[in-house]
Amino acid sequence: MVASLGALGRFATFSAVVLRSTLRPPWLVHETLSRCYVTTTRCLLPVIAVCGPFGMVMSLQGLEIFGLFGAERLLSGLVSVAILRELAPVLASVLVAAQGGSSCAAELGAMRIKEELDATEVMAVDSIGWHVVPRVLGLTLATPLLNVAGAASGLTGAFFTAVVMKGETAGVFMHELWALTSPADVWGGIAKTTVFGALIGLVASYHGYHATGGAAGVGKAVNDTVVRSVLVFIVVNYFLTSAFFGQLA
Amino acid sequence: MNTMRQAGAFAYFVWDWAMAVRRWGAPRAEIWREAFRIGVMSLPILLVIAAFVGTNLALQGFYAFRPLGGGRLVGMFVSLAGVRELGPIIAAAMVAAKAGTEMASQIGVMRIREQIDALEVMAVNPYAWLVTPRLVGIVLVLPALTVISIFTMLASGYLVAVFQLGLNGSTYLTFATQGITAMDFVYGMLKAVWFGMIICLVSCWYGFTCGRGPEGVGEATNRAVVTSAVVCVLSNYFLSEILYGGGP
Amino acid sequence: MIEIIDLHKRFGELVVLDGVSLSIPPGETTAIIGPSGTGKSVLLKHIVGLIEPDSGQVICFGTDMAQASERERYAVRRRFGMLFQDGALFDSLSVGENVAFPLERHTRLSPREIRDRVEEKLAVVGLPGTWDRAVSQLSGGQRKRVGLARAIVMEPEVVLFDEPNSGLDPLTSDQIDTLILDMKQALGITFVIISHDIIGTVRVADHIAMLNAGKLVAWDRTEAVLRSPEPVVRAFLRRNLVLPEAEGEQAHLPRAEEARRG
Repeated sequence: MVASLGALGRFATFSAVVLRSTLRPPWLVHETLSRCYVTTTRCLLPVIAVCGPFGMVMSLQGLEIFGLFGAERLLSGLVSVAILRELAPVLASVLVAAQGGSSCAAELGAMRIKEELDATEVMAVDSIGWHVVPRVLGLTLATPLLNVAGAASGLTGAFFTAVVMKGETAGVFMHELWALTSPADVWGGIAKTTVFGALIGLVASYHGYHATGGAAGVGKAVNDTVVRSVLVFIVVNYFLTSAFFGQLA
Repeated sequence: MNTMRQAGAFAYFVWDWAMAVRRWGAPRAEIWREAFRIGVMSLPILLVIAAFVGTNLALQGFYAFRPLGGGRLVGMFVSLAGVRELGPIIAAAMVAAKAGTEMASQIGVMRIREQIDALEVMAVNPYAWLVTPRLVGIVLVLPALTVISIFTMLASGYLVAVFQLGLNGSTYLTFATQGITAMDFVYGMLKAVWFGMIICLVSCWYGFTCGRGPEGVGEATNRAVVTSAVVCVLSNYFLSEILYGGGP
Repeated sequence: MIEIIDLHKRFGELVVLDGVSLSIPPGETTAIIGPSGTGKSVLLKHIVGLIEPDSGQVICFGTDMAQASERERYAVRRRFGMLFQDGALFDSLSVGENVAFPLERHTRLSPREIRDRVEEKLAVVGLPGTWDRAVSQLSGGQRKRVGLARAIVMEPEVVLFDEPNSGLDPLTSDQIDTLILDMKQALGITFVIISHDIIGTVRVADHIAMLNAGKLVAWDRTEAVLRSPEPVVRAFLRRNLVLPEAEGEQAHLPRAEEARRG
């Protein structure tokens, strides 16, 4: 307990240092954008490949439940809210954590083990500003983009199962989708994933930056990154969702 | 093209492993150790994540079924979604993230430190010695973790429904038990066994094909979790379609 | 006992072994030396069948390692012990469990007998009573010595060393060399050693084979190799040794030629 509080404190300090470096010039715009590009392209296929089937499964099981009440027509609107608000943001973030976050931890960890970070410092270059900040910002920018891609693929999957496989009417599906979905759902998802992306970036670079113990240490940093960043944003997500749905209760 | 080659290499690996099992059997003592380790390692994170997924399901369900006058239906929604889909997939995702990554990095480290060559030289088949106990262990443990994951979701969904949304507790429970049958549980277990095999074989394969140095281990670990998650979710749709969809 | 016949191996474009023939004399110590990247480790891995040759053969105890079935290959390997560069000890096991590993897998000895045998071998390598020590607590030299104990615990006929002295300080290096000499005298084991460390090699080896750019450039008794007129050989050895006068041209590489003819 005390140990984990201590780790939390160190993580907070690390995050503060990263934030300070972020606000201070030089701003490595090109470096940040290229990190964002790399993360987006590497995660794009996994995000689409995971969100699509999830949308399909939602349609499949949703039709069965709504079918009990003869209310199949409600499916699309509710599925779309669920996908835009919850599924796409969470799944995109899980995959960014698994792919982008873990490779960020692996790269920084390898640099730490091979003393490249020390070498950077010795050359009087701020290793956090140079190596960590572009990675964190890159992940922060990439996650909302991937969220949009995930939402699109999830909705396509839902449409495919409902209309093509199960023979619902395309017109009704689209009509209910527009009727029940509001722009706030889209923006909500994007805002959430921006926060999640930053959290993943911080957790990943914290573990990579502090890796010890050779190749095995890098493996452990990657492992910790995936597990802990998922943990952090699932917990944060609960409060965000409650805040949104809480008004309804 | 590259993906096809990788898939081919993976298939070849699975075949080699199967031959090794046929020839050399499985080290019994290792199986129990691995099963225990995988379970203990993945359980805490699984409990937390499943609890939060349960709360989310309850909130979502409440929102979704309000038009049908259905605060009551929240229980049914949570249990159906939990037992059929999210219970197995969340348990699998957490085992992939925790135990799968560990398999990849452990075996990767063994590979680059020549420990796998050492096994070969000591006339011990590395596939039989390293993969089989992990595979049997995960196949034994993942169904159990799935049950735990399902009940955690139901319980946290109950707490949200009753304390946050102010619904009636006994109605929740009635509808929760009405929604599902024993077969749903059996199907959930079948999914868990399949996911376990995927996670273990994929993660071990990335470990065995690990590149040089710390980057190699990092990359193997990274790819293990992404690939096994993607393959699990993709195959989940087909499993659901076969088990519950009954065709178009 | 170990016959290497016209071995060729390339990795992609890179030719690593380019027609190496060598016959390892039983009961004696053979050192394979040469600059880094000339395929010494690859040659060693061919001997135990970890790598398959592109062409040529490696015959150990009458078994062609590349052609043999897995069972036959494993049967041969039980007569081998091998010390890897960094020991290749399993991190999840203790020192004693590491050394006991081959015994537990391949013999029907009781736990008590295994324990006795392991303690005995640990004593041989100068680490008695370290059964419970974790591998992570060992220094580089201790790792190698535990690796050596594991290599000899099955009482093999041939022990292979991949760089026994790399990364060790001169004192520990000396200890390992002395250990090799003692074991050769006491147990009559055939040793094959890969090394950069010329001084240690000259001390322990009865025969020296030198590889350069995938080819065997010297293969003879140690004293003869030290006198070899071959410029590469002299350049390689001179870095660490004061060499005796080179012999006349007629004497160079008799064994290598013999092996090629045979």
